[in-house]
Amino acid sequence: MDKLLRNKTAIFIFVAPALILFTVVLFIPIGTSFYYALCTYDRTTRSYSFIGLGNFQKMLTDPNMRIALKNSLFFLLFSCISQLIMGLLLAGLLTNIKKGRNLFKNVIYMPCVLSSAALGLLWAFLFHAKVGINNLLANFGIKGPAWLYSTTGFITLPMWVIAFVALWQYVGQSMMLYMAQISGISKSLYEASYIDGATKAKAFRYITLPLIKPMVGTAMSLNAIGSLKFFDLIYSMLGDKTENLKMDVLATYLYRTGFSSKGGHHYGYASAIGIVLVILCLLATAIINRIFKTENYEM
Amino acid sequence: MEKKKKKIKPSTILIYVFFIFMMVIYLAPVVWIAMTSLKTRAEIYKNPFAAPTVFHWENYKVAWEAGKLGIAMLNSLFVCVVTLVLTMLLGSMAAFAIGRMRWKLANAAMVYILIGMMIPVHCVLIPLFVRFANIGLSNNLWGLILPYLTFSLPTSVYIMTGFFRSIPNELLESACIDGCSIYKIFFQIALPLSRTGLFVTGLMTFIANWNELLLALVFISDGNKKTLPVALTKFVTPYQTNYDKMFPAIMIAIIPTIVVYTLFSNQIVDGLTTGAVKG
Repeated sequence: MDKLLRNKTAIFIFVAPALILFTVVLFIPIGTSFYYALCTYDRTTRSYSFIGLGNFQKMLTDPNMRIALKNSLFFLLFSCISQLIMGLLLAGLLTNIKKGRNLFKNVIYMPCVLSSAALGLLWAFLFHAKVGINNLLANFGIKGPAWLYSTTGFITLPMWVIAFVALWQYVGQSMMLYMAQISGISKSLYEASYIDGATKAKAFRYITLPLIKPMVGTAMSLNAIGSLKFFDLIYSMLGDKTENLKMDVLATYLYRTGFSSKGGHHYGYASAIGIVLVILCLLATAIINRIFKTENYEM
Repeated sequence: MEKKKKKIKPSTILIYVFFIFMMVIYLAPVVWIAMTSLKTRAEIYKNPFAAPTVFHWENYKVAWEAGKLGIAMLNSLFVCVVTLVLTMLLGSMAAFAIGRMRWKLANAAMVYILIGMMIPVHCVLIPLFVRFANIGLSNNLWGLILPYLTFSLPTSVYIMTGFFRSIPNELLESACIDGCSIYKIFFQIALPLSRTGLFVTGLMTFIANWNELLLALVFISDGNKKTLPVALTKFVTPYQTNYDKMFPAIMIAIIPTIVVYTLFSNQIVDGLTTGAVKG
């Protein structure tokens, strides 16, 4: 048996395809990406010339980059906080009921598996300046705001709208993670606390919350990375309109810089944006893990 | 307890009211897309929230033809099914070698693969695009399958490793005594025993790739090679949007996922949760 499991040829045949794929499609391109970030791409000669940190210097003074970064950080903060509150609330309430728990859970999770591109179109219609929600408001004599077409404010209204749509779509994921953790907590802990006279709210505060702290870290890192990578919803809700420059996030700005029909093909600069994105992802994960680092309690 | 039923607490009623409200928030948009997809354009603009007076099923036919949805659906199916089969095969092979076979670098290989989970696809978008353009993989569905496969593998390897490790040793040993080769052990014993895991990874891979937009948008510009999410975004142009065609198109795109989800919602929810935690 042991000999069979140490069969070198078999091991090689089993792992090689996956590892080769990983190296060729993922790790080599990452290296290339770092190199491109230090280059500028000439569209006519199709060549890259090394310019050192030039792309990153350009970022410092690029107003569009500043907007994209601002919006991305807004999504990051908003999704971390809102998903934590809503996810915990839903999970906490759901674990308190028996009948219909599965149904509610599955329905709330449903948008997570649906296409963001499709749902984005739906919400774009609902928040259209003339039809959609504003049509409904008009029946009551209220003139609604221009929603996705409004461009004022530090964080523009479209960003808030999309942030709430994203919360609607993805809160199921956080809820599920918290539910999984809460159902792992021993019932005897709660019984003991009720005997000591604790209310449900108090039990939640002093038993549930501390015990799910590690999961808060996990769920929040997932939200953070997800919101930094955010592309589908914004692209399908706002479209490829250059007049919407104030509504870029890092991912859409990268896409526009690299591939837009108008003014694209800046592969060097786009790679540099990609690098910033990865660094932000790592940074956010590291910070969140530091905040929620806990010793593991016995459950 | 003498009483037949426990007294229902007001807090429980409040919780149910809250969740029924949530159900409305989650289901109403889908119901509303379905309703709107059967209305004419004039009806949509005049009264977007009313039910259709006459069911205009022909909207679906128009949308299907105008958006080239038939071919987009076929492309999406092709890409997703190939990716799904390859992910299950390559993923479980690697998982078996890592989780069950004995070699020094097994843990290192696992770490190498799991790192892939943390890398956003945006980071490799440009190098891949440039490389693929050079070797004829842009505007080619295989150019989508390769990265989809690579980004689906970590989760499947992670889940399958767990399943393979839980197979009792005796089962494999008895097969060994019967003279099975290691390949036979893998394909005829380990794989069938882990079919739950295969099923979960398959569902997750399918859903993730069915909805993928960014790569498909960048790598495919040929109208006959577009996948469904990309075809959908084409219904919105900067100057006008054909709502009467857009809503049937949205329905066509989300119905397969809704059907799969309704059939297997418990497995999907559990699988996606496990898949998410390891990252």
